[in-house]
Amino acid sequence: MSGAVDGGPRAGRVAGPRGAGFALRVDGRDVTAYDGESIAAALLAGGVEAFRTTADGEARAPFCHMGTCFECVVRVNGRSLRACLTPATPGDDVGRVDEREPDERRAG
Amino acid sequence: MTAESRTTAGVHDLVVVGAGPAGLAAALAARARGLDVVVVDEQQQPGGQIFRRPSGGLTAAGHRWPAGYPWGPDLLARAAASDVTWRPRTTALGVLRGEAGTPLRLAVSGPDGPDALAAHRLLVATGAYDMPVALPGWTLPGVVTAGAAQGLLKSQRVLVGHRPVLVGAHPLLLLVADQLVAAGAHVAEVVLARGVPGPAEAVRALPAAPGHVGLLAASTAAVGRLLRAGVRIRTRTLPTRVLGEDRVEGVELRRVDSAWRPVGPARTVAADAVVLGFGFHASTELARQAGCATRWDGAGGGWVVTHDGAQRTSVPDVLVAGEPAGVRGAEQARAEGHLAGLVAARDLGAAVTGRDLDRAHRAVARARRFSDVVQRVFAPDLTGLTALATPGTLVCRCESVTRATVERTLAANPHVSTANAVKLECRTGMGTCQGRYCEATVGALVERATGRPMDQVGPFTAHLPVKPVPLAELAALGELAAAPPEPAPSTPAPCAPVPATHLP
Repeated sequence: MSGAVDGGPRAGRVAGPRGAGFALRVDGRDVTAYDGESIAAALLAGGVEAFRTTADGEARAPFCHMGTCFECVVRVNGRSLRACLTPATPGDDVGRVDEREPDERRAG
Repeated sequence: MTAESRTTAGVHDLVVVGAGPAGLAAALAARARGLDVVVVDEQQQPGGQIFRRPSGGLTAAGHRWPAGYPWGPDLLARAAASDVTWRPRTTALGVLRGEAGTPLRLAVSGPDGPDALAAHRLLVATGAYDMPVALPGWTLPGVVTAGAAQGLLKSQRVLVGHRPVLVGAHPLLLLVADQLVAAGAHVAEVVLARGVPGPAEAVRALPAAPGHVGLLAASTAAVGRLLRAGVRIRTRTLPTRVLGEDRVEGVELRRVDSAWRPVGPARTVAADAVVLGFGFHASTELARQAGCATRWDGAGGGWVVTHDGAQRTSVPDVLVAGEPAGVRGAEQARAEGHLAGLVAARDLGAAVTGRDLDRAHRAVARARRFSDVVQRVFAPDLTGLTALATPGTLVCRCESVTRATVERTLAANPHVSTANAVKLECRTGMGTCQGRYCEATVGALVERATGRPMDQVGPFTAHLPVKPVPLAELAALGELAAAPPEPAPSTPAPCAPVPATHLP
């Protein structure tokens, strides 16, 4: 049985062959993705915990991974897209959604 | 399948929404009778959730087909070889209606933006999604559906957690647990609300399961492997709370009685992910927006689309197949899809023999004998699940509406007696998921408060667009809706003979 590799604190990639790796920019930091991965998978495996922060300051992350719940919506190169349905491509600029008022954001 | 980036002219014979077993079987059957067919699906590859596969560089690791559906690879191979038009990564937004007598147009949004597909027939084969269960903490990162855990593993080779706990009531949960263990996860525990079906139940199900023995055997084998791997399987237990501040740290569990009411003391299990697998809801928002009649079927996926026994809905040019007509699994979805494809072809004047139709009807009846048993044995106890939500639990994830808010709304507005009226009063169901994840809970709360049966409480009304689109696309959609309808040919497109390789 293989162990997970290259994982974040929670989710992680299963060992095995992958395609070419490349970097995504996620709110200014680099996250590695591999050819064939969705943006959601790359972010989860890269240790991104919150895809969205609600107006109440709650963290949210992908729930259904099939395009129904919309909890994984992020800005990809300026467009709001479901990360679970969007293939990662080299150099994608990903911005997470923060619904808090600007002066409340520092805490999170 | 032929990729087509954009179609603005002409009227298709059949537009299929959903490329799972139902949609693909329908597309192939209709194409083989000469229809011009387009298949629209949100995923990159056809197959639906049941046949989710890796793509790109992830294909190097290979792919294991799900046990119990030996026809899957062949169905997908035939779909790939056929010349039906394939519109991947495309979301169906709703049906546009022009003047009476003109064909419907399906508004879609794809990689190239919005578009409208005119069609003589629309087949809704939109599948199902994991039933949401509003329990305290279910919105924390790390709480996912069984479908999410499985999809991430199958198509992305990513584990949802290193130490997940799986909780639910559906046998799929055991298969997911087995797959997670095989991929290297340390499954902390598998928790089922009911007893695992014993040998007696399995034996009773067998005569109803020709062709399904493999699936039953796969579930049994999965349980054996889990037990050998030292995974604890607990029955008659429900999760009462997910623990954690900004992410899952564990789950609180309690023993329940046969009505799923907690009876024992709470215990906690440390976990970095919680996987919920209580069953499925039919995806019916597109059918509802199109005007198709629905009925409430708690055991069969909530609000399901009614049809005439030959997959025709209450709307003359709209058919339904698979889970939206009642959640009954891939085998029946494929059978219903094949029948729907034949019926659409025949209704549009193509040659379809009575023998072919009879065989298609018999295949649906055969599949139904098995799915009846599964539905009966694994029906979720919706009353018990609704009781898991405490006053402070979020019912609506998108708009952060609590159970207490819904119940205050009901108490303050005695005239409110439908799920839709609650939605308008307190915004539950008005967020980006458009009510898919709170509708059943809100319905159950209205039922509980008013004593009205679910059929009267009703579903949320589905509006165009049935899934949210960016504002710019919405504007373009408005232009498409206002545009004069395409000229309708007086007769359906001629049915050209099709090479034998397309015959199912």
